[in-house]
Amino acid sequence: MLHSAPSVALREDEVERIAQRLGREPSAVELAAFDAQWSEHCSYKSSRHHLKRLPVSGSSVVLGPGEDAGILHLGIHDGERYAVVIAHESHNHPSQVVPFEGAATGVGGIVRDVLCMGAQVIAVADPLRFGRADAAESHARYVAQAAVDGIGAYGNAIGVPNLAGDVYFDAGFDENCLINVVALGLVKESNVIHSHVPKDADGWEIVLVGKATDASGFGGASFSSLTLDAEDAEANKGAVQVPDPFLKSVLMRASYRTFALLHERKLEAAFKDLGAGGIMGCSAEMTAGGGHGAAIDLDRVNVALEGMAPEVIAVGETQERLMWALPPAIVPDVLRIYNEEFTLPEVAYNARASVIGRVTADKRYVLRYDGAVVMDVESDFLTGSIRDELPYTEVIRHAAPANELAAVSVEYLLPRVLAHRDVCSREPLYRRYDAVVRGCTVLPRGAADAGVLAPIPGSPLGVALAVAGNPRYGRIDPRYAAEHAVIEAVRRVVAVGAQPIGLTDCLNFGNPRKPDQYGEFVRAVDGLACAADALTLPFVSGNVSLYNESADGSAVPASPIVACVGAIEDVGQVITPGLKHAGSTLLWIGSRELAVGGSVLAELLGVDEPLPALSYGAERTAIGILRDAAARGILRSCRAVSDGGMLTALVRMAFDAFTAGRPIGAEIDFGNPFCESGGFVCEVSDAAGVDLTGALQIGVTTEAPELVVNGTHFSLAQLYEIWSKPLSEIYP
Amino acid sequence: MTRAIAIGLKIPDNTAYTALVALRRLGVAVEGVERNEVFFFDDDGDVAALVRRVKADETIFNPNKHRLEVLAQAAPRPGELWVEPLERAPNRAAAVAWRLTDARGLPASSQVLEAAADRLLCNPAIDRARV
Amino acid sequence: MSGRIAVLVFPGTNSEDETLRVLRDCGGDAELVHWSSPERLAGYDAYVLSGGFAHEDRIRAGAVAAHDRMMDYVIQGAQRGKLVFGICNGAQIVLEAGLVPGTGAIRKPTAAFTHNAPAPHFVCRHVYMKLAIEPARCAITASLPRDALVPSWAAHGEGRLAATSKHLDEIVTGGHLAFVYAHADGTVDDAAVPNGSALRCAGLVNREGNVLAIMPHAERDAWNFNHLERSDSGDVLAPSGGSIIFRSFVEAVSQL
Repeated sequence: MLHSAPSVALREDEVERIAQRLGREPSAVELAAFDAQWSEHCSYKSSRHHLKRLPVSGSSVVLGPGEDAGILHLGIHDGERYAVVIAHESHNHPSQVVPFEGAATGVGGIVRDVLCMGAQVIAVADPLRFGRADAAESHARYVAQAAVDGIGAYGNAIGVPNLAGDVYFDAGFDENCLINVVALGLVKESNVIHSHVPKDADGWEIVLVGKATDASGFGGASFSSLTLDAEDAEANKGAVQVPDPFLKSVLMRASYRTFALLHERKLEAAFKDLGAGGIMGCSAEMTAGGGHGAAIDLDRVNVALEGMAPEVIAVGETQERLMWALPPAIVPDVLRIYNEEFTLPEVAYNARASVIGRVTADKRYVLRYDGAVVMDVESDFLTGSIRDELPYTEVIRHAAPANELAAVSVEYLLPRVLAHRDVCSREPLYRRYDAVVRGCTVLPRGAADAGVLAPIPGSPLGVALAVAGNPRYGRIDPRYAAEHAVIEAVRRVVAVGAQPIGLTDCLNFGNPRKPDQYGEFVRAVDGLACAADALTLPFVSGNVSLYNESADGSAVPASPIVACVGAIEDVGQVITPGLKHAGSTLLWIGSRELAVGGSVLAELLGVDEPLPALSYGAERTAIGILRDAAARGILRSCRAVSDGGMLTALVRMAFDAFTAGRPIGAEIDFGNPFCESGGFVCEVSDAAGVDLTGALQIGVTTEAPELVVNGTHFSLAQLYEIWSKPLSEIYP
Repeated sequence: MTRAIAIGLKIPDNTAYTALVALRRLGVAVEGVERNEVFFFDDDGDVAALVRRVKADETIFNPNKHRLEVLAQAAPRPGELWVEPLERAPNRAAAVAWRLTDARGLPASSQVLEAAADRLLCNPAIDRARV
Repeated sequence: MSGRIAVLVFPGTNSEDETLRVLRDCGGDAELVHWSSPERLAGYDAYVLSGGFAHEDRIRAGAVAAHDRMMDYVIQGAQRGKLVFGICNGAQIVLEAGLVPGTGAIRKPTAAFTHNAPAPHFVCRHVYMKLAIEPARCAITASLPRDALVPSWAAHGEGRLAATSKHLDEIVTGGHLAFVYAHADGTVDDAAVPNGSALRCAGLVNREGNVLAIMPHAERDAWNFNHLERSDSGDVLAPSGGSIIFRSFVEAVSQL
């Protein structure tokens, strides 16, 4: 018989607490169940109380955090209220060990989180942090290549466009890559399906759909809470999760058909992704969330191999599975849809939809196997929130005092900034992802600061998506990095002309049991809360990934990563970044704090400078000026200032024109054009009427395909060559 | 001399499963399908050193998901069909080795292998089949 | 009269919805037909095989799907003069079924759409397909202007035409090279080719001219909102760009 791995991550005091509550020693199945359910991954035991500081409500919120994904109101079309579903996850630890499968199953998991809200999956995005992949034959390069291939292989096959994302390369990620994934869905607000059963669900049947349960991924929930090293990699091989995008593609379509049937019959149901904790975690949370219990018969689970121990069937993390709780009357039709119309058993070995148990009125969670009860516990005790109050130390960053920077030579710096690993073109990477499947893409990834879709056939409503999170800032100040991540994600969405409507976050940090590493996490949460409050935006979904720690005990650079969703009334009005005409005025709108700490420039010059200060007032003013210019029709193009600073943003606007067959140049004068403090570079037809207290005229566009900065001339074609090539070394 | 090393998955192989289902539907008498990629390496006689070298190349071998076998000969074994690309590309496998078994678990006959190649596993415009 | 169009859905097909939408927006009478009811296909006059990863392209792109029961109907239909239009994965399936270039027997392909080169990776890139035959040579392209440029997206890992030199010669001399990759201004060179395709091939047609297989996705650049900078009217929802090939297809179906 295949038994569970002996390593249980539960602490002794936790095991004692369980035994005390049960009045007996827990069974092997119970131990495995609590191990999964009380793991950091499922319980958020050391983070949940801090996350309470994040704002989660607002006029756009249809559903805040608490279920598998959050939901934001998008707009009204044809009398129907439409919403976007969004979820944000990480799959860091598995991807460091088996990057292709790890990253692919990350996409697979996030897609299920969105799907199970009753939504059509319309986009994915992936913020990535890799180690020094520039070294050929390094593990970091292998991870950087294979993870991207895994994301592509999965997302491309299921037919969901990759709309946004970013990538940074930093030695701090050599031993711990970060693979974050975001998914977007579209749903009519009246058709949302919840992750837990309603109050009157007694007697509903529990239906498991998807791949046959196997031993793969057993212990995955705890896997993410252990430090990785080469030995663990071997020892954890049972935890390799195997992606099957082919099965997922069919499961998605069968689920869409089931949604339609439910709406037709006006029936309620609950639908939930199986993630960490497997069948047990999913059915326990789904039923306890509605004040119910569950009785599951493990013998009715479709399995891939005989002789698996009940704890493996109960908590194993086989991919490509979802769970329904359904009124009994509709169950035969749902089974027919998955098993006959969509032929699941022919798509993957023993894949199917099967009834495995029912929702009960008492609040007990009961598992039977081979005729005997192998688990019988109070549902609320199993799924209720447990809390670890861990100590943390204040993060004090002694930033060096600001220095008068020696006059910088733009001629020397511009080519180096453009070729920098965090600035150069991402196209060699994202070209491996399908950006246009579904035919709804308005601005594909890379075309602008945010990706834009027109997801509703026959409607001009648009949705924009962008991500942000700068590890160079994270290293210097976790709180500031978090604030900056929010602002930058928002800025990117604003830059395409969208109205930001909500945020998600994934907090990637080190070991919470180390007070200094935990302190970084705590302060980053403060930063997210502060920025979201200041910009009056809610967080509707999120994820925490801790223990991103190397063998030597050091943590990844503090990595609060944020995604922002924007709504667009008419996609015809989106703003694109390519320069449009010679003779336009160029403005820099927004904060022009000249500190260079954490910038690419600071790294190139080897200087240690303080981070630029943040001003939410200036940020709101900038957004106002931009929206006003767009409304008055004078805004021709725009880009948010980001890595590589204002000049990089402007150069990329010229590249965007250049590659579209419009050779337009620019001539500007500005002291240090590499500051990354923020704002927007804008091309306007006429600066008259623009509030110049918050905007600075920096130059004009020209007819010659060249750039003139403070009198120094650059050929756009040469700069493009420098900027576009570096990543093709890693992604040929 | 040239040494052939077969690298296969120790995690479930979805492609092999699809091949099995498809071959059966086409009436080819197989009950088991295993798939390996075969790589050719120059070998100075020190097989252990070669294996170490191959195992160190993560782009073709990851111990968490792959298993590796040094083949006695650079040729198909009984029950094996090698599908070799007509144009060899660098860093790609020299062949995909399909190992087919019959209802008794024995290596498939060469007729079965040829039928499998002809009906599904080989496109003669780009591949050559060897049994 | 207007013929009926079936858009086939294999397990793993992923572009059926937008393909259906563009056909309908171009006036076609189109419906989805699903793999679990292949017999429904007998009632249609034209078949569109849309993009995706049927059976995840396991073994070889299109190889397993070419043997699907739905393909029995498509092959029979093609032999009786029905129109068959394969796009991307649909093109790979049509080729594996032996319908294009059609120089061999059924289900005995004489060419392949195989791994891209030089880098054997998936590529998603905006491209132009240029009509390389007389429009009337193929029923589906008959309403296109000569040398038509069709804006599209290449989005595939196995899109490179490959064949033995004998079979490549047959493709050229038999007039099977329907589309080649080109730049926006219509010039044709290797830089316009996203995948290393032999003959710079983007599409193939059979001898009779009723089966067309194209690798790029014209339906993903088919409405004004897909290409705001090239919009040809104020209505962002209006079909334009790549939709011209679907218009031509629907026109051909109406003349059946």
